[in-house]
Amino acid sequence: MQLNNKSKPVRHSLTLATATLLGSVSAPGYGAASNDWEIDSSVLYYAEDGRVSAIEPVVRARKTIGDDEFLTFRLVVDSLTGSSANGAIATTAAQTFTKPSGDATYTTAANTTPLDPSFHDTRVAVNGEWEKPLQDNLKGIFGANLSKEYDYTSLGASATLAWDFNSRNTTFTTGLSLNLDTVKPVGGIPDGLTAMPTTTTFTKASVGDSDNKTVVDVLLGITQVIGRKTLMQFNYTYGQDDGYLTDPYKILSVVTDAGTATLAATPYLYEQRPDSRVRNAFYWKTVHQFEQDVVNFSYRYYWDDWGITSHTFDARYRYELGGGHYLMPHARYYLQDKADFYHYKLVDGDIPRYASADYRLGDLSTTTLGLKYGVELSENSEFSVRAEIMKQQSRGSGATFPDVDAMILQANYSFLF
Amino acid sequence: MAPSLHIKPGNNFWSGHFHAMASPCEVLIDTNDQALAERLACIAQNEAARIEKKFSRYRDDNIIYRINHSAGRPLEVDAETAALLDYAEHCYRISNGMFDITSGVLRRVWQFDGGDNVPQPAQVAAVQELLGWHRVDWQRPLLTLPEGFEIDLGGICKEYAVDRSAMLLAAQTDVSFLINYGGDLYASKPRRSSQGWIIGVERPGQSTRHADINQPSAAAGNFELCRGGVATSGDARRFLLKDGIRYSHILNPLTGWPVRNAPRSVTVVANTCTEAGILSTLAMLQGTEAEAFLAGQNVQHWVLRD
Amino acid sequence: MTKLALSALCCCLLLAGCNLQGVRPWERNVLAQKKMQLDPYPNDSYLDDHIYYSKESSSGGAGVGGGGCGCN
Repeated sequence: MQLNNKSKPVRHSLTLATATLLGSVSAPGYGAASNDWEIDSSVLYYAEDGRVSAIEPVVRARKTIGDDEFLTFRLVVDSLTGSSANGAIATTAAQTFTKPSGDATYTTAANTTPLDPSFHDTRVAVNGEWEKPLQDNLKGIFGANLSKEYDYTSLGASATLAWDFNSRNTTFTTGLSLNLDTVKPVGGIPDGLTAMPTTTTFTKASVGDSDNKTVVDVLLGITQVIGRKTLMQFNYTYGQDDGYLTDPYKILSVVTDAGTATLAATPYLYEQRPDSRVRNAFYWKTVHQFEQDVVNFSYRYYWDDWGITSHTFDARYRYELGGGHYLMPHARYYLQDKADFYHYKLVDGDIPRYASADYRLGDLSTTTLGLKYGVELSENSEFSVRAEIMKQQSRGSGATFPDVDAMILQANYSFLF
Repeated sequence: MAPSLHIKPGNNFWSGHFHAMASPCEVLIDTNDQALAERLACIAQNEAARIEKKFSRYRDDNIIYRINHSAGRPLEVDAETAALLDYAEHCYRISNGMFDITSGVLRRVWQFDGGDNVPQPAQVAAVQELLGWHRVDWQRPLLTLPEGFEIDLGGICKEYAVDRSAMLLAAQTDVSFLINYGGDLYASKPRRSSQGWIIGVERPGQSTRHADINQPSAAAGNFELCRGGVATSGDARRFLLKDGIRYSHILNPLTGWPVRNAPRSVTVVANTCTEAGILSTLAMLQGTEAEAFLAGQNVQHWVLRD
Repeated sequence: MTKLALSALCCCLLLAGCNLQGVRPWERNVLAQKKMQLDPYPNDSYLDDHIYYSKESSSGGAGVGGGGCGCN
């Protein structure tokens, strides 16, 4: 390079250019005020075959309020209609049940699983979270939540700390959350394992208008970068529930004899679950990228002192179609062993201390298959839809509850501004 | 919460010491007011940290990361980054392509660790495909780097941080101060004694330059800086030695190979630290012509050779 | 407790079998992508968690907080 011929002009233009550079930016901390808001909006439609259906819009807004500091706000409205199994078994004759209010009855045809049609419920939940760096390599996430529906209120707070080590390749996470719930069921809290009246003449035995439940959850986790394209997380969570854990609307059928479906004189009893529950879960998740596609796999092993153990396998494969489009098939398989006090039905004269016929506590498996399609509409916005089918089946031999089939449809629109 | 800042008293001045941009940093304030010195040192430290965080190529959460991973797509940059890109482009032009912020990728084939791992011509040619500012589309405020390209503002950042810190301090006070970020300096004005700050100029093999008030200019290599910026290019430890040929770490982006006969170090005094830094870099790139180049620039300078 | 010990052992074995070198800061480009995050579709996971909380008897695993509802 020969600069000699232009030597003097070099310094001259350089001085001017430097003055321009230094004069051009006035205040420190200047940055393009770009994209500090991130909005994710979704609508979910959930529908069970002949049973409950729900529409659930969700809006999540996340704002960057400082260096690595964020505020997230979420609003959910959950609108549920339809009928839900009340725990009684199908019999050869029609059956009549009282609604939770005690003011009306409903009838189920012969040889049909009884469903309570009273479930029209709208729930609103708000959730706020503040993520903030506390020190070098330590950040805190503090959250609060409130959920309200006509018969249930939940108020809670949580705190999680994440420590980064090893050039941010390893992260230790610890979290704690506390929730205080109040149940105020229609018709009052039924006295567990007492009779459900079959006519409106009699009222159920009630132990009060409302009751409470306390939920504490603790998390210990490690997230580890395995390679340039692989990440893994291992979590152990411990939880404890205390208080009113029973479902006030569910009953059990009482039969005269173990082998029959003939109902006893007092045919239905309200269920009764223990008033404490200690839960544990071990969770492993891995995220791995191939050329462009990403696979997301997780496994959870759960066990609690109600005797329930379960395995959950969940896999998603994001298949990049190019041009900002992707397809993501999803498969989930869930296997559950029943609670100790789960009974399909009770036998007259042999009523245990705790019993529930809620099929969700039984031996069951849930299989979900779904497909999601997403497209980047612009640098800052994305649209996606997903459709899934879910089938719950009872496992185990003997008289079991019928399958529950459901469909899940969801549309999302996310954008930054 | 912030990395540690140490305030120390000197002979009729206060100094603040911290670590930033992989260098020991100090701010010398010509005052007996400790509180003032602390406040000014803190401002300088915050600015150095801000610039380091914003322009470091070792982070994954800043504009440089986003630029270097934009995968060929246009990216809108903020005003400060735009100003630095404009400046880098200007330097690219006046140096006829020798000063090129996209040339950092040459690092992938040249590791100057004192060993003999000189790359094959084919390797160098391959990496040459991934650099060249003329291939970059810079239309303020949109920057489009071709895929595989990277920019590295390391060659301007430290000097820029010195000048920016100086601007912030000058807005806060009338006292004389000297900023020294790992050997890149700026002095705002003469001291209360009407003398300048005494600077020791680096020689290869010595430790980083320090401003030592107790060493009068009689010592070889010391000089008095009343106002302006000082920057040095070159580091004797970074080279490769193979078959008796010494390859300096100053790479010519146009060829992909080291500049021949580059000086061991070049120190320049100019109006600002940034300007001094560019001039010293350009001088190094001149190889044998370094002295001649600087002689024509009307700046105080030192060139050290083997 | 045995279950916990067994789980912890599996975790250690899995980790031991993997390359724990980690990556340098400048090698995090892939990991920084949104689709590589542990929870890349927050609304999806919130809604799914809620569905399965209502329909099954297990909960927990991925995190704490989020709130309760009267569905189980």
